[in-house]
Amino acid sequence: MKITVDPLTRIEGHLKFTTEVKENIVVDAHCSGEMFRGIEKALIGHDARVAQQVTQRVCGVCPYGHAEAASYALEDAMGIQPNRNGILLKNLAVGAYHLQDYLLHFYTLCALDYIDITAILNYKGKVESLVALKSWVSSELKNNSVYPAAPFLPRYSGDYINDQDINIGAIAHYLESIEIMAKLHKMVAIFGAKAPHPVTIEAGGVTVTPSVQDIALFSSYLQSAESFIRNKFIPDVVAVASAYPSYFSEGVSQGNLLSYPYYKDPDTNKFAFAGGASINGQYQSLDTKKIQEHHKYSYYSNLPDSSHSPLDGPILTPLNEQEFETEKNKKDGKYSWTRAPRYSGLPMEVGPVARIVNGYAAGNNPQLNKRVDQYNKQLGITIDNYHSVMGRHLSRAINADLLLQLLNRDIARVEPNQLAFEEHAVPKNRRGIGLTEATRGALGHWIETDNKGYIKRYEMIVPTTWNISPRDRQGQLGPAEQMLVGTKIADPNNPLELARIIRSSDPCMACSVH
Amino acid sequence: MTNMSRRVFLKKIYHAMVVCGAAQFISFSELLKAADKKDDNKPYIIWLHGTSCSGCSTSFLDLEGIPVVDIITKFSRIMFHPDLSLATGNTVIEMMNHISASNIPYILVVEGGIPVELPHACLIGDKPFKYWVSKLASGASACVGAGTCATLGGIPAMHGTDTGSVTLQAYLESQQIKSPVINIPSCPMRPEHLAYTLLHIVYQGTPPKLDKKNRPIKFFGSTVHERCVYYADYQEDRFATRIGESGCLLKLGCQGPVTRNDCLINGHNGNTNTCIRAGHPCIGCASEHFPRRIMLHSYNDKRAMTNKKYQWRES
Repeated sequence: MKITVDPLTRIEGHLKFTTEVKENIVVDAHCSGEMFRGIEKALIGHDARVAQQVTQRVCGVCPYGHAEAASYALEDAMGIQPNRNGILLKNLAVGAYHLQDYLLHFYTLCALDYIDITAILNYKGKVESLVALKSWVSSELKNNSVYPAAPFLPRYSGDYINDQDINIGAIAHYLESIEIMAKLHKMVAIFGAKAPHPVTIEAGGVTVTPSVQDIALFSSYLQSAESFIRNKFIPDVVAVASAYPSYFSEGVSQGNLLSYPYYKDPDTNKFAFAGGASINGQYQSLDTKKIQEHHKYSYYSNLPDSSHSPLDGPILTPLNEQEFETEKNKKDGKYSWTRAPRYSGLPMEVGPVARIVNGYAAGNNPQLNKRVDQYNKQLGITIDNYHSVMGRHLSRAINADLLLQLLNRDIARVEPNQLAFEEHAVPKNRRGIGLTEATRGALGHWIETDNKGYIKRYEMIVPTTWNISPRDRQGQLGPAEQMLVGTKIADPNNPLELARIIRSSDPCMACSVH
Repeated sequence: MTNMSRRVFLKKIYHAMVVCGAAQFISFSELLKAADKKDDNKPYIIWLHGTSCSGCSTSFLDLEGIPVVDIITKFSRIMFHPDLSLATGNTVIEMMNHISASNIPYILVVEGGIPVELPHACLIGDKPFKYWVSKLASGASACVGAGTCATLGGIPAMHGTDTGSVTLQAYLESQQIKSPVINIPSCPMRPEHLAYTLLHIVYQGTPPKLDKKNRPIKFFGSTVHERCVYYADYQEDRFATRIGESGCLLKLGCQGPVTRNDCLINGHNGNTNTCIRAGHPCIGCASEHFPRRIMLHSYNDKRAMTNKKYQWRES
């Protein structure tokens, strides 16, 4: 039988997936990106600096990563690096945004796949917001409203957590996380001007001259965010992980992990997260020449050679309506707007797991290894369990923990009243690469300028392009497709397991297709 | 809730309404009365994503003063939101079919553009996004365009794109769908603007006063330039010649004169900052010209602002 979920909600954007199920086990899977805008081609002819503002708008959840990658790509073409304040303010604005993104992903998007929201009906305490939520849900159910208690119901039925304390605690944190996320966005706005879509992160630094007040305000917000993350978010992740130990071996990808260097220390030029590729359990350093994109199963006209390196090869043309219908009705036709990037020809999982596993293997961040060893002992897992549903959630908690330390370090290093930006001319006929990590994984921008400094060519290979990619020309499944295969489904009418698996990879579909 | 705690709660909400500018059309005693209304008066909200980035949705979660959970439980009913709803897959399709066939009053919020030339460039449940907009807009008591993509074109309709992405209003006009449209541009949409608009509809029964482009005049009545901290510098011809200098940013590419928004009065993220205060020229994210061919440039670059050649779009 076939199980199709379309649309999958509580992710960014438009995603459909279809699975073939035999005796309640998934034997095949297809993931489809369902929305296309064509921003790379549209950028041609725009001033190179426009890329920062436009590309971050491929995504309203991780715009910071695109702003950063676009600025790095142009800095690479310019052959420059920002001043110390410039590097620090990028770290701080982007780092604060990472923390917001981790909370959004865990609480808003994923938590209610595990936490039982109806547990609120048995709430006996006196906390105002919870009492209000309880009386609202019960009156909704009693009054027989149309879709009572929406948006929290209806939902898939399934094995939600039974423990009342864990449920109530997490529901309270679900509500509180919204306030903390707003605070984290304010931290971004202090140096980025606004969030979403921070404008100040440019090639050459950040256009801000930080004041003592800016630094003090950022520190004060950081303290309350830190308290929430350490005392609530991380324990909630661990509680959910402990309640579902089997999810450390569910939703397993091919296990090849790719990450880019992230979070530069301006004083040592070293990165807190090393980057690299782990293939068959063997770690190797990063080589961007090994990256190619395939489009055999993507909704673009076929080119003779259906894979190419970024900036090389012709620009892809989207299928028209008729071609699209033909492909859809074909047996082995194209099925996604997402393209299929491959590293050394292999599908690679990207994301917090890749940052942790590659960082652990590189061994350059003792704090990272210490945390991993500690959680492995506490939860009875090994580093090989990380590319799983719970491994992904746990990796986000570890990433958040490490980022808190880095933000505390760097806010103290900012030099007040020193402009964090230096102007440099946009270079002509030059190429540049900008690599960073969004929370959901490895993000690369490639730019080429023409003889007037306008954009001649622009390419983005985005975390979700890796994770939710369709098959490549060899027919290898994308990482998320592989995650679904082998999953046992308790109730085909309520495929909660499949939704949990896909959500654990934190898809950002608007990003992935762009 | 006891009468006392309810009063305290409503005081809190009233304070929040003062913050977001809604207090001018509703007094505290009116709010007390309004809150006594039956639940039936709370409008249902259906929020859809077209060629969007979800930025307006994440921005809405940042709403100051009124907790989002109160919006959900006390002031409206969010029947469907792609990032909040536990409903997923076919249930969502059933919900949308059910509500469009019923007589339940609801407000449709559309984030992102509507691709009409490549309709398959945005699909929900294997059907083009425009199908859902047509289906749900005709029965909606109001249609709200959230953000620049849905209201002025923005990124999905930028120069060089192929999908033929159009705004909510243009699409409804092309389909002769007559439901009232309220446009809330800005990239992303500012959460106070939507909260104010929704509260106005809930308590007054009508949208706030709109300009000829259907934007609430309260927020889009003046340009960024007119409210700018550097307006006096502009009048005195004091222009910044590079980033970091004090003075009007016009000659570095500032779009303030052609952008209508209230961000210089009430800054982003609960008045934490503004682009101009952060040293960056306005990029015109709420303007018809967004995104322009050039946004930030060197001093006295002739390619900027007034030169039509470097503008992709007519206003």
